[in-house]
Amino acid sequence: MKACPQTMYSGARLSKDRLGSPCLVPDTSTGGNFFNSLSRLLPVAIALMVTAVALAFVVLPAGASIQDAAIANPEYRAFPVIGSRVAIWVVAQLHLMFAAFVLAVPMFAVIIEIIGMVTKDKRYDALAHEFTKLLSVSFSLTATLGALMVVMLVVLYPRLTEYMVSIFSWTFFPYILLFFLEAVFLYSYYYGWGKFSPKVHLTLGICLNIVGTAIMFIADAWLTFMNTPNGISETGALVSMADAVNNFIWMPINIHRMIANVAFGGSIAAAYGAYKYLGARTPEEKAHYDWMGYVGNFISISALLPLPFAGYWLGKEIYAYSQSLGITLMGGTFSWLFIIQAILIGNLFLAANYYLWLSMERIEGAERFRKFIKYLLASIAVTFLVWATPHSLVASIEEARQMGGSNHPMLGVLGVMSAKNTAVNILILTTYISFLLYRRGNKEPTVSWAKAGQNAQLAIFVGAISLVIFLGIYGYFVEARVRIALSVPQVLAVLFTMISVTIIDIYLFKGAKSRGEIKWGKMPDRAQYALFFITITFAWTMGLMGYVRAGMRQHWHVFGVMRDTSPDAFTPTLGFASNVISVTVLIFFLFIAVVFWLTGLPSKKDWEPKDARQSTSDEEVSA
Amino acid sequence: MNTGLKILLFVLAVLAFYSYVGNTVPQKITYPPETAELSGDMTTDELVEAGAQIVAGKGTCLGCHTVGSTVEASSLRFPDLGNIGGIAGTRIEGKSALEYLAESLYDPAKYIVEGFLPGMPVVSRPPIGLTDNEILAVMAYLQSLGGTATITLATTHSFTGQGASESSAAAPAVALGAGLDGQGVFDTYMCATCHNIDLPDRLVGPSLFDVGSRLTRGEIYEAVMDPDATIAEGYPGVVMATTLGASGFYQKVSPEEIRSLVNFLVEHTGN
Repeated sequence: MKACPQTMYSGARLSKDRLGSPCLVPDTSTGGNFFNSLSRLLPVAIALMVTAVALAFVVLPAGASIQDAAIANPEYRAFPVIGSRVAIWVVAQLHLMFAAFVLAVPMFAVIIEIIGMVTKDKRYDALAHEFTKLLSVSFSLTATLGALMVVMLVVLYPRLTEYMVSIFSWTFFPYILLFFLEAVFLYSYYYGWGKFSPKVHLTLGICLNIVGTAIMFIADAWLTFMNTPNGISETGALVSMADAVNNFIWMPINIHRMIANVAFGGSIAAAYGAYKYLGARTPEEKAHYDWMGYVGNFISISALLPLPFAGYWLGKEIYAYSQSLGITLMGGTFSWLFIIQAILIGNLFLAANYYLWLSMERIEGAERFRKFIKYLLASIAVTFLVWATPHSLVASIEEARQMGGSNHPMLGVLGVMSAKNTAVNILILTTYISFLLYRRGNKEPTVSWAKAGQNAQLAIFVGAISLVIFLGIYGYFVEARVRIALSVPQVLAVLFTMISVTIIDIYLFKGAKSRGEIKWGKMPDRAQYALFFITITFAWTMGLMGYVRAGMRQHWHVFGVMRDTSPDAFTPTLGFASNVISVTVLIFFLFIAVVFWLTGLPSKKDWEPKDARQSTSDEEVSA
Repeated sequence: MNTGLKILLFVLAVLAFYSYVGNTVPQKITYPPETAELSGDMTTDELVEAGAQIVAGKGTCLGCHTVGSTVEASSLRFPDLGNIGGIAGTRIEGKSALEYLAESLYDPAKYIVEGFLPGMPVVSRPPIGLTDNEILAVMAYLQSLGGTATITLATTHSFTGQGASESSAAAPAVALGAGLDGQGVFDTYMCATCHNIDLPDRLVGPSLFDVGSRLTRGEIYEAVMDPDATIAEGYPGVVMATTLGASGFYQKVSPEEIRSLVNFLVEHTGN
């Protein structure tokens, strides 16, 4: 007997091959105060609530009486004033932002802890602990927002929720179990700092990361299924849950999110450093938080560099699933969204470079590289402008006639993928050069092969940039299908350059002579605002990409399977979406401000009655 | 100024800037496509006009294809349709223009124009889900591009009957049914008309009196969802699939209802 009924899009499925720095030791007291107790209990309570909801979903549909009741239930319910779509949009986005942060911090906290263990430098351990401090409250907020989102889905979108549960019912149990485990590992990792042997503590951190990543992978299955449904019959009935989970964009989204989470989490940690730096009163505090901001930003930008490559893979899989879905995403309705994205990413690179250039001001010996900054700025400006050039312009009929169409005779050439891919790759390489200059700011190589090594690095750069530009130009003279494939060697050239030059650099500056010291804490305030700018831009970019991921389905809850028949079935304007994203990001930052405040609370002086404070003061005066 | 306030103002300024950027680009609301209203007495010219609307709207054809593009063919990702009416009859030897156009819409992966990659979705299935009549209108419009349209709604071809049903075109692909139990599904879709459930006597189809002891749960599931996969000896094929298809069973029934039906049948072991 042949297998069960064919899955949807089986044709597409077949097309896939794969079925000397100062150190301020932070306050490590964890305290047994109200906030800590609350943060320990809240996630467990929320997990219980989510478990109850999930169990209700799994168990209840079996009863005929409940099914009868479901007949009377509406497909949608309206949320007052702002409507159901905006309500669930804002809550889901806030949940995602906090979840990204909570998943990312343990990743780099563990890495920093390992660096501390290997180098036996205590300040790394202290830094990792300080990053982890932000997790406690954030974890509670993530869980609260997640529970709120589940409740809103049940109430506002019962038909969609019921269908999703019918497909993924059994994935909820491991999800809840992992959630409990994450709470256990997270709090034992945080509160167990210094209480266990380093190896045991590190193991807790690694377990926390594994569990956190598994949670994200499960949740990603639900959301990616909505875009590229798989493992179902033509009527939408489940045929294979494994295929439903492993749909076309599941793994690309997993990888993209892991990298993006680190970039976003690093930027939040950097913003925390910037916030503390601006409020610091002593040079030691300033030095410590300057360093913290630098490390956070370094993590963030390091993760940002490979992110576009993960994005390429994601885009490729969307096209592999459905050309029309891919074209809806990249052309037509959403083509202008990617111009906004170019402005956001361009701003990220610009701000990251600006921060690095300002950082070089505090390095003795780095002034010799100052002359290169104007060239780097010019490269960023040009590539930024090319990337943000639209293919077709907003023009009046008269203007369009004068141009001979909606494409500008000169600028229209820059609005195509050949030019944009080239610009992005050069932009990444420029940022990498800024980092290299920063890295060698106060260093002088002493190895015998220094000149040859630097020449080799230069040759690699020249070769890679030449290849990227050549392929970009060549793309104008070949067929579309060849042109699309040219992005792969461009990306590989950039990756090869970054890896090979870094390896050479590490050995080149081994035992290097120092030209001066790094004066931590000697940073202008505007550098801290550059860090805030990066964080805001990251958050806004996340919001925009969240919008397009859902928006590309257009009038489908589950693409091609379940139509959106609600009054919100239309795709709103980019302006409306931008306003929703801005409000969401503002709410997120207000929450983050609360997180920062709560995180700093244990290090404040204990409260004393006014009389006691007065008498202490009098005693001090008389003494 | 207080540091916290400064940071807040900075955040507000950056957010306002990004909102401004988002509001500066072209603004467009995209509404769900509406099913075209086609009546049997439409002339070919009216059908061409309706087809042009479907091509630009519900069919989403212009998301990929161009019509009369002056750009070189090698630069296009999908074939230009500017002269399709003139060349459709010559694309595949021995295939008429009508059959070629029908095949390119119902089974687009079967023939790929040289120099292009496969990628076109079947327009009669979700997410596009055009009905037979809507596809005829599209074909009439395509005929008119560089050729003469001859198609009417009375025209038939090899794929006639394979379009999305009128009801499913307007309704969600997944309508979660009425929450029926197994017996309810069996009764609602009048399975007893062809299958005896209480006695071992055969009707049009085999008796289901002891189906639970003859077939596994998976085999019953397959027999419902894909009746022609395995035909019981001595019975004609196609009948059940056609009957259920015509009743809208596959569009209306929910996954839960199918499970309930299978559970209901599994319990019938002949005892």
